Amino acid sequence: MRERVEQVRAQLREELAQVADLAALVRVRDRYLGRKSGLITQLIRGLGALPPEERREIGRLVNDLKEEVEATLEQLRLQLEARAEAERFERERVDITLPGLRPVFGARHPITLIRERIEDIFVSMGYSVESGPEIETSYYNFDALNIPPGHPAREAQDTFYLSEGLALRTQTSTVQIRALERRRPPLRIIAPGKVFRRDTPDPTHNPMFFQVEGLALDHEITMGDLKGTLQEFVRRMFGPQVRTRFRPSYFPFTEPSAEVDFSCFVCGGAGCRVCKGAGWIELGGCGMVHPRVLRGAGVDPEEFTGFAFGLGLDRMAALMYGLEDIRLLYENDLRFLEQFGF
Amino acid sequence: MKVSYRWLKELVDFELSPRELAEKLTMVGLAVDRVEEVDGDVLLELDVTANRPDCLSHLGVAREIAVLCGTSVRYPETDQEEDEEETARVVSVEIRDPDLCPRYVARVIRGVRVGPSPRWVVERLERLGQRSINNVADITNLVLLELGHPLHAFDLEKLIGRRIVVRRARAGELLVTLDGVKRTLQEDMLVIADAVRPVALAGIMGGEETGVSETTRDVLLESAYFHPLSIRRTARALAMSTEASYRFERGADVEAPRCAADRAARLIVEVAGGRVLRGAIDVYPNPRPRAPVRLRRQRLRRVLGMDVPWDEAVRRLRTLGFHIERTNGEEVWAIPPSFRVDIDGEDDLVEEVARHIGYDAIPTTLPRWNGYGELLPGEERRRALRAILSALGFSEAITFSFVPESWDALFRSEEMRVCRLRNPIDETRAQLRTSLLPGLLESLMHNLHHGVRSVRLYEIGICFFAREEGERPIERERLGLVATGLLNERAWQDHHRPFGFYEMKGTLEALLEKLRVRHVAFQTSPQEYLHPGQSARLLVEDEPIGDFGQLHPRIATLFKFKQPVFVAELDLEGLLQKGGEAIRYRPLPRFPTVVRDFSLLVPREVTYAEIERGIAELGISEIVEVRLFDVYTGPNVPADRRSLSISVRLRAEDRTLTEEEIAAIQGRLLAHLRERFRIEPRL
Repeated sequence: MRERVEQVRAQLREELAQVADLAALVRVRDRYLGRKSGLITQLIRGLGALPPEERREIGRLVNDLKEEVEATLEQLRLQLEARAEAERFERERVDITLPGLRPVFGARHPITLIRERIEDIFVSMGYSVESGPEIETSYYNFDALNIPPGHPAREAQDTFYLSEGLALRTQTSTVQIRALERRRPPLRIIAPGKVFRRDTPDPTHNPMFFQVEGLALDHEITMGDLKGTLQEFVRRMFGPQVRTRFRPSYFPFTEPSAEVDFSCFVCGGAGCRVCKGAGWIELGGCGMVHPRVLRGAGVDPEEFTGFAFGLGLDRMAALMYGLEDIRLLYENDLRFLEQFGF
Repeated sequence: MKVSYRWLKELVDFELSPRELAEKLTMVGLAVDRVEEVDGDVLLELDVTANRPDCLSHLGVAREIAVLCGTSVRYPETDQEEDEEETARVVSVEIRDPDLCPRYVARVIRGVRVGPSPRWVVERLERLGQRSINNVADITNLVLLELGHPLHAFDLEKLIGRRIVVRRARAGELLVTLDGVKRTLQEDMLVIADAVRPVALAGIMGGEETGVSETTRDVLLESAYFHPLSIRRTARALAMSTEASYRFERGADVEAPRCAADRAARLIVEVAGGRVLRGAIDVYPNPRPRAPVRLRRQRLRRVLGMDVPWDEAVRRLRTLGFHIERTNGEEVWAIPPSFRVDIDGEDDLVEEVARHIGYDAIPTTLPRWNGYGELLPGEERRRALRAILSALGFSEAITFSFVPESWDALFRSEEMRVCRLRNPIDETRAQLRTSLLPGLLESLMHNLHHGVRSVRLYEIGICFFAREEGERPIERERLGLVATGLLNERAWQDHHRPFGFYEMKGTLEALLEKLRVRHVAFQTSPQEYLHPGQSARLLVEDEPIGDFGQLHPRIATLFKFKQPVFVAELDLEGLLQKGGEAIRYRPLPRFPTVVRDFSLLVPREVTYAEIERGIAELGISEIVEVRLFDVYTGPNVPADRRSLSISVRLRAEDRTLTEEEIAAIQGRLLAHLRERFRIEPRL
């Protein structure tokens, strides 16, 4: 019996050495530990026939063998499983340097990106967004803005006319007047929109472009407030270090009028290509709303004062994104559009 | 306008380098665009705003510098020796239309020798970009640059009757101007005439025949004031713009003519000899003294938001040439100098004070406010729409609102009326669009020309529709989409799949779903710009919202497209009024869903929508969804049929369906489809 145990052990070791995969392992297990005909199972079963003094000793031997077999098989199983898994992973390995399968994304137009950003800045400062028609009467586009008949700004060389009294609006200031008809002061509005001027296209002009108009009207609005408001806007739009500069100018609908410049956000004012060496970049026109404009809209200039400003979005887009030719904005070349945000 | 630094130095004392001067002038509103050095001098290029014609000369700029530097202007010499002979005996001046010409000054210089100008005159003119003509004409130009007042010199002998008559032209009168152009005049144009005929276009250009030439001996010098509007109208009508008209249009100084004439006469004698006749003729029938303008201290404070020391404010006005009529601690009454044509109200004085204390000195504050701000109504949905379209692979385009009429005509029905520009830049683009598609297709063409073959673009923009004469046109916001090429050009699996009809339909369906627009239906579209077999009309709540499909191949050929192009155009205003209800969550199903797939042999004339509707007619509440998953024609399917595979999802809200229930539903479904549409299951 003892020899038999040793024989089984030796045979097992030999067979285990041959095991290459899990299936073979299962076969070996069945042969030795199978519930009916397993060699070790049979040995255990054979113990009953032994005399009691031998049974104890042989029993321990058989049991040791069984435990050894179980432990060895388990160890081998783990090894084989690890190997099988490793092989599977190897089979499933991909070339991670192949390009990803990217869904096609479109992009919003740079003018939209800037317009939405400006809207959000001013809405957070308490302004409401207003709009008005793109075809305007001479009243809204000119007369109500203190541009009387005969004024150079009305000439056909600058304005697209549809008829005597109708034209494509040349400025978003028209919305000031419309807003004043809808709501009474105090008010704060901005009006982004498309405007048209008879400019032949070149790298800095298009016959169609976008402006945003701003208007604040209240009992105690001052020119200091105008300065502070645009300074705050520029800070949020271009960065905290950017400064503004106001210099006298002329617009028929404001008095005093100013041109507002901001310190170049690229060079900080030292002079570079973006600001053409000047250190300052023109942002737009602004001023205190002309008393005649207020009276025309039925607002008493002794009771209310206000400021207005007009900024060009195309110019801002050109500055922010470094466009050298703003005609690109309306060519809609996908290679251009795709460079802008989602 | 260019000014010479050296010339300015002759007129006013200042201790500023050209750069410093440029900076200072810019900050008082005379923007200096460029500073350039030219043989020992420096030229400043000024951008003079339309309200400041008084600064269109060296004297004008010198006046601002004097205020800036606290010095005073040295006015050029005007006094001279006069001849015995009196001007009034030699020539007469009559103003027939004083509304257009309130003042006319004439001086006569006899015995001049017309010839080349001395060097200093030529140099000055040429440095500032003017050509030297002859000594007499040059002096009139020089005085224009110096004092800003336009002058004209006539050859006295050529003025018939030695008369000057300022009058409106008679319709059809002719005048050959100095530039050699024969001009036909209209009744509202102001001319300078002699006894019989026009000899100059008032304030714009002299006549060729009566101009100063080599043979001229006696010169009549005109120095007048003309009404700005009249000059502008005439100049525009004749498409002329001269140094003189530019200044008269903006407003000359009505008090300047006498001084300018004297200055010019003095210089003419200096460079061309001759003698100045005694006295000037000065016809100025209605001198109107200017009314004082009031400035309140309180208004100044209110507009600027700062307290300017009152003495300082008054002093600034005085140095700017205002005559201070009276003042107290709270108000000042100031008469503007005659050259300041821009001043007519209190806030103009506020600006004058602000300009010269400097806008920098005004404190920077933020207004107090207790209101709130909001976006435009519908803006949040517009932003959502843009985000969805980005995610669907469409990029946003902005195209011009004016389009070629022939293109626009392809996309509108005949009863629509269009708006046309009276004065387009480009005659071929004179119409305002009624559709976004022409612009988008043009952009598509641009991309294809540049080798970009897979393109998806959309635009949100206004289209214009004319109404009756005198009625404001209708503006309508629309959404247009165009797509062509491959679905995903950069994909390396399935990379050949093109964008097709169902992609466009799917884009719109996804868009509407994400905008929470429901009750969407499709019918065939009547639009003739679409492929008759691949076009559909989109309806929301039974209202047509737009059309889409393949661009009609004939139109595609017109645009030279070699690949199928898909388009869609929706009425965005109509769409944004639909749907968008607040989101309400529906509980998730508590019992399992069973899926049953059917392959159906469907007669060709039966549409998929009919099958879906047919299933819905059964009213079986356990059918929660019908989903198409394959369409097949070909071998094993009779030619008059197509095979549609659908999966039907079954679920009850209150129990798990049994096999018997499922089999019963399946049976009813197939029986109904057979009966209603002759549909057979494919085995």
